[in-house]
Amino acid sequence: MTYICSICGYVYDEEAAGIPFAALPEDWTCPRCGAEKAMFDPDGKEEAPAKAEAGGQVQTPVQLSPRALSAIFSNLARGAQKQYHPQEEALFMEISDYFLSLSPAEECNAGDLHSLVSSDLAGIYQECEEAAVKAADRGALRARLWSQKVSRIVESVLSRYEREGGRLLEGKNVYVCSVCGFVFTGTQAPEICPVCKVPAWKFDMIS
Amino acid sequence: MEMKAVRNLRLCTKDCLCLYVCPTGASDTEDSVIDAQKCTGCGACAGACPSGAISMMPVRLPLQQEKDAEVISRMNVLLESLVRREAMADKLSSDADPVLAKVAQAIRRSSRLSAEDIAREAGYMLPQSARAIGLLKELVDNPPTKDFPKASALALIRALEEM
Repeated sequence: MTYICSICGYVYDEEAAGIPFAALPEDWTCPRCGAEKAMFDPDGKEEAPAKAEAGGQVQTPVQLSPRALSAIFSNLARGAQKQYHPQEEALFMEISDYFLSLSPAEECNAGDLHSLVSSDLAGIYQECEEAAVKAADRGALRARLWSQKVSRIVESVLSRYEREGGRLLEGKNVYVCSVCGFVFTGTQAPEICPVCKVPAWKFDMIS
Repeated sequence: MEMKAVRNLRLCTKDCLCLYVCPTGASDTEDSVIDAQKCTGCGACAGACPSGAISMMPVRLPLQQEKDAEVISRMNVLLESLVRREAMADKLSSDADPVLAKVAQAIRRSSRLSAEDIAREAGYMLPQSARAIGLLKELVDNPPTKDFPKASALALIRALEEM
């Protein structure tokens, strides 16, 4: 029997490893991407995510929040930077920072953040997928898949933190993929990003 | 299509073959940025570069792909949730527990990157697209507060309309 990591696709082969998957300790993590044991699915099992609540009502934010606008503009700054337009990049960043300064602070604890990530994983990603499939929008499908995988690893890191506390980072650093946002804990950045496949130098270490 | 050569300095290994093949000396600059005024778009440098550091970019990009209204609407809901995660992580990044603070810092960055990618696929891919320029114009006409950097937005609109 084999088990597949739902984030990076690593295959755990019970026969080759000599240890049944179920017998692995609960704090065992994916050797490639660091995902928790719970992120593995038995091979062949069709992934059946929770069906999004039916209702038909499309939730349309008439106005985007200041922080969403900040992200739109920092993204456009990146678009200018990639085209080698540093002045436009700086102007977009100025507008992005303006919207960030308007964004209200959140009062929360780690559990609240964990719940938000989990509820997104149970709903909105599926809704985005349905809309993107219907519109045959490959770009949107790709972006939502990367974001979903990154959310899974974020959820995984948060539940490991809840379980292990300070031990989570013992002798380890935290790395973030500068392209897709994949979060990795380890002694060095992974050779390639398990989600978007960029090389190690595209990772930033959190200091 | 009119093209110009651009160099990615991160990939450039200074083999300098571009200098040998460029008919106008456009690639021979102090700061390694290819001189767009001199570049004729012949592509010889990109072909000769052994490290793949030079690529040819169209001077004018094609129009941005149309986006379906429902995709935009759903992706915007996701965008709002991602930036809310960023805000939560921002708060937690100054937590008394250094391990949580560090994890939160990583999640703050991760959430922003994911939000940017979703924003891109929700219709704000190209800075010079009609949609991005339209958003800037809307903000200039209806600034959210009096501190909105209107002059910068107007300068940006002018520059983007030239691209």
